[in-house]
Amino acid sequence: MKHEVIFSGIGGQGVILAGKLLCTAAAKEGYTVTLAPAYGQEKRGGRTSCQVVISDEIGSPVISEADLILVFDEKSLEDYENKVKKDGYLLINSSMINIEPKRTDIKVVKIPLNDVANEIGNARTANMVALGCIIEITKVVRIQSLENAVLSRVPKGTEELNKRALYEGIQLIKQGKGSIRYEIC
Amino acid sequence: MKVIYERPKILTDAYFKYCGGCGHGLVNKIIAEILEEEKLQEKTVIVWPIGCSVYADKYFNVDSICALHGRAPAVATGIKRNLPNDNLVIVYQGDGDLVSEGMAEIIHSAIRGEKFTVIFINNAIYGMTGGQMAPTTLLGQKTTTSPYGRKEEESGAPVNMAELIANIKGCYYSERVAVNSPRNILATKRAIKKAFNYQLEGKGLCFIEVLSQCPTGWGMKPLKTLEHVEREMLKVYPLGVFKSPEVKNQ
Amino acid sequence: MGEKLFMQGNEALAESAIRAGCKFYCGYPITPSSEIAEYYAKRMPEENGVFIQAETEVAAFNMIAGATATGNRAMTATSGPGFSLGVEAMSFMAAAGLPAVIVDVMRPGPADGDILAAQGDYFQVVKGGGHGDYNTIVLAPFSVQEMADLTPQAFELAEKYRNPVVIVSDGMLAKMMESVELPEKIEQKKNFDWTLTGAKGRKHNVITTCATGPEQWEQFNLELQKKFNTIAANEQRWEAYQIEDADFIIVAFGSVARIALSTIKKARENGLKVGMIRPITLWPFPKKAFAELKDKDFLVVELNAGQMVEDVKLAVPDKERVFFYGRLGGVTPTPDELFNKIRELYAKNNQ
Repeated sequence: MKHEVIFSGIGGQGVILAGKLLCTAAAKEGYTVTLAPAYGQEKRGGRTSCQVVISDEIGSPVISEADLILVFDEKSLEDYENKVKKDGYLLINSSMINIEPKRTDIKVVKIPLNDVANEIGNARTANMVALGCIIEITKVVRIQSLENAVLSRVPKGTEELNKRALYEGIQLIKQGKGSIRYEIC
Repeated sequence: MKVIYERPKILTDAYFKYCGGCGHGLVNKIIAEILEEEKLQEKTVIVWPIGCSVYADKYFNVDSICALHGRAPAVATGIKRNLPNDNLVIVYQGDGDLVSEGMAEIIHSAIRGEKFTVIFINNAIYGMTGGQMAPTTLLGQKTTTSPYGRKEEESGAPVNMAELIANIKGCYYSERVAVNSPRNILATKRAIKKAFNYQLEGKGLCFIEVLSQCPTGWGMKPLKTLEHVEREMLKVYPLGVFKSPEVKNQ
Repeated sequence: MGEKLFMQGNEALAESAIRAGCKFYCGYPITPSSEIAEYYAKRMPEENGVFIQAETEVAAFNMIAGATATGNRAMTATSGPGFSLGVEAMSFMAAAGLPAVIVDVMRPGPADGDILAAQGDYFQVVKGGGHGDYNTIVLAPFSVQEMADLTPQAFELAEKYRNPVVIVSDGMLAKMMESVELPEKIEQKKNFDWTLTGAKGRKHNVITTCATGPEQWEQFNLELQKKFNTIAANEQRWEAYQIEDADFIIVAFGSVARIALSTIKKARENGLKVGMIRPITLWPFPKKAFAELKDKDFLVVELNAGQMVEDVKLAVPDKERVFFYGRLGGVTPTPDELFNKIRELYAKNNQ
């Protein structure tokens, strides 16, 4: 088993934290986990990204093609669209991205992460919404493991808020319902 | 017959390699006398430099290390910070070692207030390597790399280390002494002993600059060098205390 | 079996050193090694240890010389430019017999360079860089777990042979986070007769590297050579992956070896018999691993312009069968990139 995920966004959006939480959960479940900085155009403009490999065995921290790539902003989409595996997932933050991906051989999921976070009550939980979406799409770790990881890391007093954001992301993917526009294709 | 003076037993049987009339021999002996009188032999570690005193580890029955050129204060930092507080760590350096190669190391040891004693032998020349100019060489002094006499517009003016180190907060005590007369030799011994005691009390960096004679490097007979220190070096390097806990407003 | 933590490479290395009883750290901050200094700065008050931010690497490398002279364990961490400043002290410590541990988190050069992953320090770390005939053991971990495992061993090897030991990592391994089981905490066992602690009840000890004439100095050097030859005979370490039936053997260390693991998997899935030899000691170079490997081709992959490849050529039976692939500037190849290179070489060979 091997899952390769790339998280990419602008500094301050909690993109790297989302990657670390996924890894913490996977490590607790006994998987061999690696999180490495991702290199690309993101050296400019305050962008950050990381590559996560969750596997049964030790392997490359550098990803050739990912099973799922989360892109928070448009530059990330431009940089990473071509790194998604054929039939893999591109999770787009439609709150900040208006351009369309060009590929037709990948699954595109658009969630307005910032808008959902604002509805919940805190714009900074957008990364937790994303994490929820990712876990429901890939099912790479148990939801409880991820929830434990989130609760152990977020600042005191924000536990409930972040938990809500996580489950909101899970629900959005699970049910395909809600007054907020989204698409799974 | 009463013994009124004996060669310190802390010294080995090895002959000092210093030139006749060199100040190193006097200071080495002063240190040995103090260590013996104060019974510090078993607690002392000496860090020797690269210079004329490079083989001094052979003269003392004391744990010693010969550091790389300039690095003695850094090595001493590693030693002092890893030994119990009642150990005495002595750093012994010449002009090239302390003022040139090791300027960063001595300044930063003072900045950090490292608790060891520095004995700086200033003879205004690089002795071991054949008599080249040092940053402490006097203006007009002829050396192998200042054959026409040191010129300020080319090589700057001599630097006063005791004053420089005194101006750093972490320096606890700074004094300049000389060994060109019996009175000055006794004052040097008092100054070094004071510095050792401060270290054993756990105080900050103590810096003793000793003006020293170099007959070979200066091209002078030994008696002449004593005069040279008195008449020429003291003009540029005045004796005195530049930092002391006993004097306010320094 | 201990608890597995998810930890950054630099921090796991620092914590492992602390658990190995190293309570003295000094260093100058330099990316990508600074987390080691910061970790030690935070932990040393808790352990009654010493953290010094040295003014320069020159000073730091000499401080660990002094510290180890007292018999205590000591470490500094830096990157390529800082290691270059320290090579004089490396020569000193090897000659003086001082068992310090030095971490070089490699970054792209030359000169100031960049801060990502690179392996261009192979020459300076393995061949010496300092003056005179000396060697230092060089360990090259390739995972956060291996960093945790090798760090305590570095201190033990240093003390066993009275020689400095270098641990090389790189800008990716250092910043990477992985699951790791940290070593048990131990107290350093100090049983030395050569240290400087004040000559109480014993003859005084002297540590010096100053010669007193050619006969004495040649003798001193011959003794040093004996030390290095003993290390070279006994401490070569490497890991071999599927080499028995391999046509092509990748030779790589550190993060490149990790990337190559995925390449080997893909190659085998595509019917290409590829294996790997991963040196764990860069010095002594694991010549024993290569000596008997006739009829194999080698692809040496490094993040430099070709450094370890020279030692591979010296170690294999036929140096004409050694190929090289490298990336520079902090760029790391993907597993697919290496796979394509291997396929290319296979095609060439079968022409």
